[in-house]
Amino acid sequence: MSSLMSCRHGLLIAGAIAILIAAALPAGAQSPPGFSPMDKSNPAASKQDEGLKPHATPPTVTPVDKLPLDKIKLPPGFKADVWSSGHPGGRSMVMGTKGTMFMGTRVIGRVYAITEKDGKREAKVLVQGLTQPNGLAFKDGALYVFAINKVFRYDNIEDKLDNPGTPVELTAAYNLPDTVHHNWKYVAFGPDGKMYVQVGSNCNICETNPGIHGQIRRYNADGTGMEIVARGIRNTVGFDWHPVTKELWFTDNGRDWAGNAGPEDELNRVTKAQEGASYGFPYCHAMGIPDPDVKRPNPCAGVILPAALLGPHAAALGIKFYTGKMFPNSYQNVAFIARHGSWNREKKYGYDVVIARVSGGTARIEPFLTGLLNEKTNEFYGRPTYVLPMADGSLLVSDETSGAIYRITYNGKVANN
Amino acid sequence: MIVVSNIWRPLIFGLAAVILCAGQALSQAMSVQDRIVQCAGCHGADGNSPLPNIPSLAGQPAFFVLNQLFLMREGVRKVEAMAPFVKDLKESDLDALSGHFSKLPPKPSGEPIDAALVKRGTEIAAQKKCGSCHKPTLTGDQQVPRIAKQRVDYLTQALTEFRDSKREGADTLMSGAVAGLSDADLVALAHYAASH
Repeated sequence: MSSLMSCRHGLLIAGAIAILIAAALPAGAQSPPGFSPMDKSNPAASKQDEGLKPHATPPTVTPVDKLPLDKIKLPPGFKADVWSSGHPGGRSMVMGTKGTMFMGTRVIGRVYAITEKDGKREAKVLVQGLTQPNGLAFKDGALYVFAINKVFRYDNIEDKLDNPGTPVELTAAYNLPDTVHHNWKYVAFGPDGKMYVQVGSNCNICETNPGIHGQIRRYNADGTGMEIVARGIRNTVGFDWHPVTKELWFTDNGRDWAGNAGPEDELNRVTKAQEGASYGFPYCHAMGIPDPDVKRPNPCAGVILPAALLGPHAAALGIKFYTGKMFPNSYQNVAFIARHGSWNREKKYGYDVVIARVSGGTARIEPFLTGLLNEKTNEFYGRPTYVLPMADGSLLVSDETSGAIYRITYNGKVANN
Repeated sequence: MIVVSNIWRPLIFGLAAVILCAGQALSQAMSVQDRIVQCAGCHGADGNSPLPNIPSLAGQPAFFVLNQLFLMREGVRKVEAMAPFVKDLKESDLDALSGHFSKLPPKPSGEPIDAALVKRGTEIAAQKKCGSCHKPTLTGDQQVPRIAKQRVDYLTQALTEFRDSKREGADTLMSGAVAGLSDADLVALAHYAASH
C-alpha cells in the first residue's frame, strides 16, 4: 500500500510540475510549425444568439418517403426527381468513365459507389473509416481520394468496385499540412491536367501562414510540382473552370461570429496574371470589409475582391459551370452553386441552389432551386451540398442531410429563349 | 492478504470488467440489458464514470451517443478500448443505448475543482463561446456533447487531443476552437466545464 501511495504522490507531483512548466511557456510555444497561434474570434462582440451551432448530419439512412422532394421549387419547365438515396452524409460527386458515381463524405468517413443495375440505382460503401474523405477526383480510370491529411489513388477502380484493394498512397508526395480544421478537401483536375487542391485556414479567424494555409494549390497528379494558385482564402470547398475563358472560379465561406449580416460568402475568379495573389483572409472580407478582430493597416491593399457575394453565412459549397444541351440556351455557361445553408445566423439563410451569370470579372446571382428553407418557422428540410451536370444535360444536386441526390431535368416548351 | 488503496480499486475493477466484457462481446446477439451492464463496467452503473479518463455518459444527448457509437463501429473514430464492444451493435442497439444514457441523471465525479482554474476557464470559455454549441448550461445538444459534470481528467485529455489533432474522426470544429491554447488553458477549461 505504501508503495502504491508513494507512486500516486510521485505522479501528482510530476503532473503539477508539468502544469507549471506549461503555464510558464507562451501559448504559441507548443504549436507545431505553421499552426496558427490563436483563433481571434470574439463571439461576445458579435451580439449573436447563444444557441447557434453547426447542424448535425444524421449517420443513418433517410427513408425515400421522408425525402423533402415535395418541398423543392424550381423555375417553370424544370422538375426534380430522386436520382439515388440511402447514402447518409453523401456530399461531393464525381462520375467515372464507365458510369459509376463516386461520392465523398465528411464525418461519416465513407466513400460511396453508386451503380445502376436493372434500372435501379444502388449505393454501396466503397471505402470506410477515413477521416472526412470529401475530396474526390477521377482521371485515367483512377479514383483519387483526399481525406484530411491522407491521399489515396485507386487504379482501375470501376473494374473492382466489390474489392477496391490496397490503394497507392500519395500522402507523402502531396505533403499537406497536418492540421484538421477546414482541411476536409475539395479537389479537381483542371483543364491543364493538374490536380487542384484546397488547403483551408485552420480556424474561424486567425493570422495564418500564407505559405501553408488558406490556399488553392496545384500539383502534378503524382503529387510533385506544387504551386500556390491563390492565397488569403478562408475555406473554399468548391471550384470549377469557366468553359470559355478556362479561368478558375471558387466559392469561399465567410467567417463566423461577426454578426448576422456576414461578412458574406464570396464567388472569386483567378485570372492567369493574378495567380498566387491574396483574396483577403483574414484582414479583408467580402467587398472590402476590414476584419473586426484581426487588424492591419490598409487591410484590403493588394487584395483581389470577389466577382460576386453569395450571402451571409450561406455556406456556398459546390460550383459547376453548365454546358449541357437540355436546359434553355440562357443557361449556357452559367455556374450552378449549392448553398449548404447557414448555422451562424439567427435567421437561417441559403439551403438552395443559385446560378451565377458570369460576365468578365463579375457575376449576377439568381435563385434556382428553392423551397428547402421555411423562412416563417426558421427550419430547413435539406441541404444542397454539391452539383454535377450530367452528359444528358440534367443536373444532379446532392443533399447531405437526407443522404440523397436529386436530378433536375427540363422539359419546358419555351426552350431556346 | 492484498490491501488495495481506494484510489486504485475502481481501476482494477474496471480492468477486470473490460477483460470480462471483451470476452462477452465475442458472443452473439447480446440483449440491450446485457449491453448496458457491459457499459457500466467502465462508464459507471449510473452512467457516471468512476474511472480516470473514462467519460461519463449520464445525461448525454441521445444523438451524440448514437453518433459516436456509429462512428466507432464504422471505424472512423478509433478508440481501441471500445472496438470490441461496438463492432456488433445493431441500429436498434444504437437507439436503445443512446436513449438509455440520455435519461440518466449526471453527477459530479468528485475530483477536486479549483476555483481559480474555474475563473480562468470561464474567461476563456466566454471568448471561445463554448456555450454556443454546448449550450449556456453546457448540457449539450444533438451531436454536441454535455460537458457539464464531465470528469476533469477526461475533459483535459479530450481537449489536448483536439488541440494536437490527435482525435481522429471527431468533428474538426473543436480543433479550430482550441488551436493555440496552452496546456494550462485546457486544464482551466476542464475545471470550468466540470464545475457546471
